[in-house]
Amino acid sequence: MNKFTTKIAAALSFGLVAAGAQADEIRIPVNSWTGQNLSAHIAGQLLEKLDHEVEYVTAGAVPQLAAMAQGTLHFQPEFWDNNVGDIYPDALAVGDIVIVGPLGLQSREGWIYPPYMEEQCPGLPAYEALYDCAQAFAAADTFPNGRLITYPADWGTRSRDLVAALDLPFQPVAGGSEGAMIAELRSAVAAQQPMLMMFWEPHWLFAEFDFNWIEWDAPENGVCDESNQTRGDACGFAQANVGKLVNRDFAETWPDAYALAEAFTMDNASQNEMILQVDQQGMSVEDAAAGWIAENEEIWTPWIEAARAAQD
Amino acid sequence: MTEIRRWVSGGSAWAVLIALTLVLLLQRDALPWAIRFPDGWAVPLTPWLNAGMNWVIDSFGIYFRAFSDQLSVLMRWIRDGINSLPWAAIVALVAFMAYAVSGWKLAVFSFAAMFYMVLIGFWTEAMNSLALVALSVPMAVIIGFFTGALGFASDRADRIIRPTMDMMQTIPAFAYLLPILLLFGFGPVVGLIASLLYAVPPMVRNTTMGLGAVNSEVIEAGSMSGATRRQLFWRVRVPSAMRQILLGVNQTTMAAFSMVIIASIIGGTADIGWEVLKSIRRAEFGESLLLGLVIAFMAMVMDRLTAQIARRDTSGPEALEWARPRVLWLSALVLAIAITALAQVLPFLKTYPAAWEFYPAGRLNSAVQYIVTEFTVTINYIKQVAFFFVMLPVKMGLEKTITPFSWGFAFTDTLKIGYAVAVLALAALSWQRRSWRAAALVIFFGMLLFVGITGMPWPALIAMATLLAYQTGGRRLALGMLAGLGFLLLAGVWEEAMLSIYLCGLAVLFCFLIGGALGVLAAEFDSVSAALRPFNDTLQTMPLFVILIPFVMIFKIGEFTALLAIIAYAIVPSIRYTEHGIRSVSKEVIEAATASGCTPLQLLWRVKLPLAAPVILLGLNQTIMYAIAMLVIAALVGTSDLGQLVYIGLGDGDFGVGIVAGVGMAIIAMLADRMTQAMGGRPK
Repeated sequence: MNKFTTKIAAALSFGLVAAGAQADEIRIPVNSWTGQNLSAHIAGQLLEKLDHEVEYVTAGAVPQLAAMAQGTLHFQPEFWDNNVGDIYPDALAVGDIVIVGPLGLQSREGWIYPPYMEEQCPGLPAYEALYDCAQAFAAADTFPNGRLITYPADWGTRSRDLVAALDLPFQPVAGGSEGAMIAELRSAVAAQQPMLMMFWEPHWLFAEFDFNWIEWDAPENGVCDESNQTRGDACGFAQANVGKLVNRDFAETWPDAYALAEAFTMDNASQNEMILQVDQQGMSVEDAAAGWIAENEEIWTPWIEAARAAQD
Repeated sequence: MTEIRRWVSGGSAWAVLIALTLVLLLQRDALPWAIRFPDGWAVPLTPWLNAGMNWVIDSFGIYFRAFSDQLSVLMRWIRDGINSLPWAAIVALVAFMAYAVSGWKLAVFSFAAMFYMVLIGFWTEAMNSLALVALSVPMAVIIGFFTGALGFASDRADRIIRPTMDMMQTIPAFAYLLPILLLFGFGPVVGLIASLLYAVPPMVRNTTMGLGAVNSEVIEAGSMSGATRRQLFWRVRVPSAMRQILLGVNQTTMAAFSMVIIASIIGGTADIGWEVLKSIRRAEFGESLLLGLVIAFMAMVMDRLTAQIARRDTSGPEALEWARPRVLWLSALVLAIAITALAQVLPFLKTYPAAWEFYPAGRLNSAVQYIVTEFTVTINYIKQVAFFFVMLPVKMGLEKTITPFSWGFAFTDTLKIGYAVAVLALAALSWQRRSWRAAALVIFFGMLLFVGITGMPWPALIAMATLLAYQTGGRRLALGMLAGLGFLLLAGVWEEAMLSIYLCGLAVLFCFLIGGALGVLAAEFDSVSAALRPFNDTLQTMPLFVILIPFVMIFKIGEFTALLAIIAYAIVPSIRYTEHGIRSVSKEVIEAATASGCTPLQLLWRVKLPLAAPVILLGLNQTIMYAIAMLVIAALVGTSDLGQLVYIGLGDGDFGVGIVAGVGMAIIAMLADRMTQAMGGRPK
C-alpha cells in the first residue's frame, strides 16, 4: 500500500465515523402491500406538516419488528398482530415496542369462496353446508374430501385445527405464500373452478374480485374462543387487531409526533378507495395519500392541533 | 479385521440389511418408533441454539452494530454516487466497457440490456441493486482471495476452510438472514452480509485451486532468478494463476447477483429485489417477469464482461500493455463527463420521461390467464397422472396409493403377493445379468415403492446408506454419512428430511433423464444448442421466485408445482454438462470409431457417452446441488419439507428452528455431493 492509498483510507474511515451519527429523522417502515403503504405515507406526510423529516424504509413483516426493537425504525402506523411469531410479544413485554392504540381498520379473517360456488353448494354461506358438499370443493389430491387452502405453514395452523375440531370432510393444504394463494384465487376465478381459502380483509383483492365469506355461529359474549369449538357451536376465528406501533423512545424524542400517532385513524372504506386508485388506476402511493390529505382536512386538522398542543 | 472388512464390502451385508428391513416392516405395528422417530428421543437443539444466539447478541452485539453502521454509510455513498449520474452516462459506460473487453456484439447486447431497465421505468431501483453488488463483489473478492491464499499456504487451514465454504454455499440464505438481522441490526447491511456469505466461497475455491495449479517449473525459474518469497507469490504465482482467479471473480459476481432478491426480504433496500417481491406477493406474473428480467439482464451483462476479462490471456508479460488500458480509462472518463454535460441540456438523458416507458405486464398476465382457462382439463389430467402414478407411490407407498378412486382397482392381497413376486423375479434377473449390487438395489426400491419413503424404518435407511457410503467411498465417507443422518434424526427433523429427499430425488431423476437427453441433442445438433442457450441463461439468472408464479397459476398450490419449479431450475446443469461432456470427446477417438464402422447410434452409446461419463456425473452432482437450493423457494408454494421449516423459523423469528433446518439441508447436499464424487472417482 503506498502513501496515497493510505491517506485515502484514513480519510475514508474518518468520514465514516463522522457520517455514522444518526440523523434526526423519523423512519417509517413500508411493507410490501398497498394498504400499509398508504397508511405509512399519509402518516408521513402529516408528520412533515409538523416539520419532521421522514424517511420511508422498505421492511419485511418480521424484520421490521427487530428493527423497531433496535430503534432503527420508529413508527409503524399499520401493524397486523396476527401471523407474527414470538418476536412481537417478546418485544412488547420488555417495552422495546409500544402499542399506541388501534388504527381503526376493521379486520376480518375467515374462509372465502367465489360466488359461483353457491350454485354447486346451495346451503352456503353457512358452514353447515360444507359437510354436505365437500365433493364440490374436491380436487384430485384430496378426493373425496374438499380442498381447503390455509395460510402458509409459517402463519400457524388455525384452519387445520378448526377442520379437526369440527370434523369437516376437508383436507387443509398450506398455501405456501401470499403470492401463491392469490395466484390460485386468480386462476380459479378465471376458470370458474371450486375454491375455498382462508383469507383476510381489508385486502386489495376484494377491490378486484367478488368473494363471499363462510358464516359461523355467533360466539357467546361476542368473543370467539378458537380453541374450543364443536359442530353446532363454531364461531370460526378470533379477529386480528390492526394497531399502531412506535419504538421505546418515540414519545420522549418526538412528543408531538407521538400525539399525532395517538390520534391517527383510518377506516376500511377510505383505504379501499385509495387501494383501488393505486392498484387499478396506476396512481402512485404518494399521490393517493396526498389526495386523501387534500380532501379530508376536517379529519386531520384536530390531529395536528393535538400534536402541536403536546409539543408545548 | 480383514474378514469383517471383506464381509462388509460384499453382498451378504446387503442380504442381512434387507432381511432386517423386512422384519421391521412386518413388525411395524408393534414397533412404531422404527417408522416415526419419537419426539421425546430428539435432542432439544433449538432452545440451546436460541440461548447461545442470545448470549452472542448480548455480549458482542455492540461491535457488530458499530461495524454495520460504518458499512451502511459506505453503502449510502455508493448508492448516492451511482444515482447522481444520468442514466445515459451509465448505459454508455457499460456499453463502452463491453466494447473494450470484447467488441461490438457484447456492446450492443449490454446497451440493449441496460436500456431495458430505463424503458420499463425501474432504473433507480435497478441502480440501487447495482450499488449493493458493487460493494459486495469487491469485498467478497478481497476476502475470498486472502482466505483462498491462506488455504493454499497451509494444509491445516485448508482443512477448516473447505468444509466451512461447503456449509456457506449449501445452507440456504433464508436460514441465516435472521441471525444476521439480530447481530448486525436492520438495514441494507443485512443483505450485504448475506450476499457476502454466499459469494465468497467460489472466490476462495478458485484462488486455492489456481495458486496450487501453477507449474512448478515457473516457480523454480522464479526462485532461481533470486525472487524473495513475497515476490515469488505476488510477481510469479499470482499472475500465473490469474486466469483461475478471474474465473473466481466471475462466479462470485454471479453469486452476488443471485442474492439480490433474498437480501430484499429483510428490507431497507428500495431496490429491484423489493419490487420483484412485491409483485410476487400480489401474484402478478407479468410484472414479476419484467422485473425479474432486470436482474437477469444485469447478471448476464456482468457475467459476459467478467468472463471476457478472465478469458483474455493475462498470464504472460506481453499482456501487460499499460498504454492501452490507460487510453481506455481516459476515454471512458471523457465519455461519462460528456454525457453528464449533455444531460444538463437534454433532460431526458437524466430522467427518462414516464410517457416513453413501455410496460407490457398486462398482456403477459392475460396470456397466462388464457392458458389457465383454455387447458384446465388437460392440466388436471397431467397433474393426476403425475400424482397417482409417480409422486404418491414414492411418498406414501403403493399400499396407500392404490385405491379404486386413483388406480381404478383395490390393492388386494393377491396383488400384493404378485408385486412381491415381480420384484423378486426382477431382482433375480438383475443378479444373473449384472451383479448382486443391482439385485440389492431392485429389492430396496421394491420395498421403498411399497411403503413409501415416509414409511421406511429409519434404522434400515441409515444402515443402508452407511453401507452404500462404505462400499463407494470407504470408511470416512461411511462415518460422515452416519454422523449426518444421525444429526437429522436426533435434531427431530427426520420426516421433513425424508420429504426433502423425496422431492429432490424425483426432480433430479427427471432432470437427469430429460436434461441428459436434451444435452445429447444439443451436442449433436448446433441448432438445438443455439435454441436452448437463451432458455438456460434465463432460467439460471432469473430470480427463482419468478419461476413459481406461472406454475402456481397453472398447476395450483401443492407439491406438484414445487416439483416442477425445482425441475425448471435444476435441469440446466444436466443439459449443459452433458452437452459439454459429449462435445469434448476428442476428434481422433470419434474418427477412429467411425473408421472402424460404428453407426451414429453406436458411436453415441458405445463411445461418446462412456467417455463423457465423468463430466455428465459432475452435471448430476450440480443438478443435485441446484435441486436442494431450490427447495427453500419451492416451499413458497406449499411443501412440508426442510425448506418449509426454514420459513417457519424466519416467520416466527425463531433462530434455532431455521438454522437446524438449514444445516439439515446442507448435510443432505454435502452427503449427496460426496457420494456422487466417490462414484465418479471409483476406478472402473
